[in-house]
Amino acid sequence: MIFSSIEFLLFFLPLFLLVYGSIPLKMRNTALFIGSLIFYAMGEWRFLPLLLASVAVNFLLGRSMALPVKQRGARRERLRSARRNKLLLTAAVLGNIGLLALAKWRSASGSAALPLGISFYTFQMLSYLIDVYRGEQKKENSFVRFAAYITMFPQLVSGPIVSYGEVRRELRCRRFNAGTLQEGLKVFTMGLAAKVMLADRIGLLWNEVEVTGFECISTPLAWLGALAFSLKIYFDFYGYSLMAVGLGRMLGFELPENFKDPYMAVTVRDFYRRWHITLGRWFCKYVYIPLGGNRRGEFRTVCNLLAVWLLTALWHGGSGNFLIWGLMIWLLITLERQCEARKLDRLFRRGVFRAIPHFYLWAVIPVTWMCFAITDVSQLQLYLGRMFGAVEGIRVNAADWKNALETYWYLFGAGFIACTPAIARIFRRWKDSPVGMILLAVLFWACVWRLQAAGQNPFLYINF
Amino acid sequence: MKWLKKWAYLLLVAGMGAVYLSCVDKWQVYAEAFDRTRDLCQDLFWGERPPSEDPAPVQSAADGAGKGEEGEAVPEGQKSSRTGTRVSDGDTGTPAGQDAPDGGEPVYMTVGDDYFSDAVFIGDSRTVGLYEYGGLEEISTFYASKGLTVYKMLESPVVEVPYQRKKLTIEEALQRNSFQKIYLMVGINEMGTGTVETFVERYEEVADHLLELQPDAILYIQGIMKVTAERSGQGDYITNEGIEERNQALARLADNKRIFYLDVNPLICDETGGMDPDYTFDGVHLKAQYMDIWKDYLKEHAVDLGGQLQQEQQ
Repeated sequence: MIFSSIEFLLFFLPLFLLVYGSIPLKMRNTALFIGSLIFYAMGEWRFLPLLLASVAVNFLLGRSMALPVKQRGARRERLRSARRNKLLLTAAVLGNIGLLALAKWRSASGSAALPLGISFYTFQMLSYLIDVYRGEQKKENSFVRFAAYITMFPQLVSGPIVSYGEVRRELRCRRFNAGTLQEGLKVFTMGLAAKVMLADRIGLLWNEVEVTGFECISTPLAWLGALAFSLKIYFDFYGYSLMAVGLGRMLGFELPENFKDPYMAVTVRDFYRRWHITLGRWFCKYVYIPLGGNRRGEFRTVCNLLAVWLLTALWHGGSGNFLIWGLMIWLLITLERQCEARKLDRLFRRGVFRAIPHFYLWAVIPVTWMCFAITDVSQLQLYLGRMFGAVEGIRVNAADWKNALETYWYLFGAGFIACTPAIARIFRRWKDSPVGMILLAVLFWACVWRLQAAGQNPFLYINF
Repeated sequence: MKWLKKWAYLLLVAGMGAVYLSCVDKWQVYAEAFDRTRDLCQDLFWGERPPSEDPAPVQSAADGAGKGEEGEAVPEGQKSSRTGTRVSDGDTGTPAGQDAPDGGEPVYMTVGDDYFSDAVFIGDSRTVGLYEYGGLEEISTFYASKGLTVYKMLESPVVEVPYQRKKLTIEEALQRNSFQKIYLMVGINEMGTGTVETFVERYEEVADHLLELQPDAILYIQGIMKVTAERSGQGDYITNEGIEERNQALARLADNKRIFYLDVNPLICDETGGMDPDYTFDGVHLKAQYMDIWKDYLKEHAVDLGGQLQQEQQ
């Protein structure tokens, strides 16, 4: 089940909130766990056993880790427990990563579907185990609390990747009252609107480009299509993360923000510090820094970055285009580091020159997204060829981009505005005023209306 | 009053939801879920249910279509008018009023692009594709729009007029302009609506009406293009079997005098009986570069209009 669906908005969520709010405090983690399992099963019940097994095994692994620092006891015993911990962690890392890799490989080769949310919950459990191993977190002794942390439905299938430390206190005691509930619902509404009103609709242009076939699109349309996909993937994912944060807040959790106006960044480096922050943070903490980060000289730093980006690419999917995507970003980041080391970035700090980095980002990022979107590498070559005029088109309709702009200009406009921090600022300023609340409520039901119309007639969006 | 302020937003959302559900949705969402749950419970506790019930959505769609038709049904008397306005070509001399295919096997010939200069193409997004990538946009007229269905075809505002903001409906546009050939391909959007019979009935009405509006024209009914086998097996109501059924019924509308039936499917389908996956991205639309298969098929299946072509050749 996804958040932007009638089943979730009109059935699951109200029912769950009623139950959750009316039962005693002590049972809320149990309710959250069971509710999340129902949520998961309604999306993909076949993978429920895998999820449960994974949660149980990782819980036991975490529990059997001995406390790393023992004040008393003989040295030999300390050594033994340290060795034991190491063994347990190695088994956990190998097991979890192995399972994830197997799932990714099978889905990339087309033999099986990817188990829902496996990339996210595996990483979350790994972060917990590593934190416990390092002694940064106390281990969780209650299965229900641990299971509620991993499976809580706001973040189960699409992140954000929450670290255990962020919700540890709230798992024991959290607030659930009018304030948090409504605050969360407002944030949720904004996320829902981003998904339904922007992502789903501007995504249609990308779909049209795909339907036409890449051979036959004009170069301007190729760029428009890439731009449309860039906006679609952002509002899709940002909307989903925002809904997750909103839902978390409704239930009394403070989940981490996943996006910070990424398209306002000026470098690719900067972009990926603002894009899918919780994943970047994960790789930084558990891969980049352990490898030495940037403290062992430039060459080593570049190698570490390469490792991070190759792993990030593999995390997104096993097919070749993701490798191209990851390598491209690594290359850009490396070049940017070199420029910065030579202080070239200072040229763009004053006056109109400040606009140049923005143009650079908006030119580069859509190209990288195309590598992300087109899984067939020969098709990808073709598309990039059309973008840069390197491949001759077949039967190109030279005015196709004008038609596309005529249909989609207002969505592009709305999308660009929504990429700036302006909307968030207006939201913060007006969300508690009567007018703001009325508008938000209208927005919520407008989204439901669109979803319903699309549900009754699947071709409202993609009609033939 | 204090709690009203405290719970203001939730009350707003709930209140607006009640208004929305009452006015727009008529509480159908919950009613349907309730029905489904009741049926499920009956299944579980009483074993079997009476087998007569169809899946609910199809039934309601059929009802909707039925209502639509009642509103705009053509009176019976008008139905036979097709034979009345039929261009007499004087060879077979069929008795008037007979609806059976009576023109014998049509003789097709191969023509050039200019055959389409007095043709109008009416259709859904697939015809839009032909317009955009078939290379006929300068030669022929296209009254095509995404999502066009046979039910709303005549009153859909799809025809743009220069210097005018409001678009004309297809009916208005056909009243203002005259054509010799009408190419019609609709049907994929209607797959979930009605039955084969109701669909063809409406199709026939529309076909008759088109010929009434264009008394000099012949009508090419094009069979609905199939989808890929993968798309067909996706589990919704778009299946190649369904398309085939409807196409067979459409083929019977042809009288091979003024109405001809063309079917490009054999050229674009593979051995699975569905569209060749190489020709399409989404399993439904031909990619732009393969649009020529369709266009060439139409060029090879042109009907000679009373020696018009021979005159041109001479």
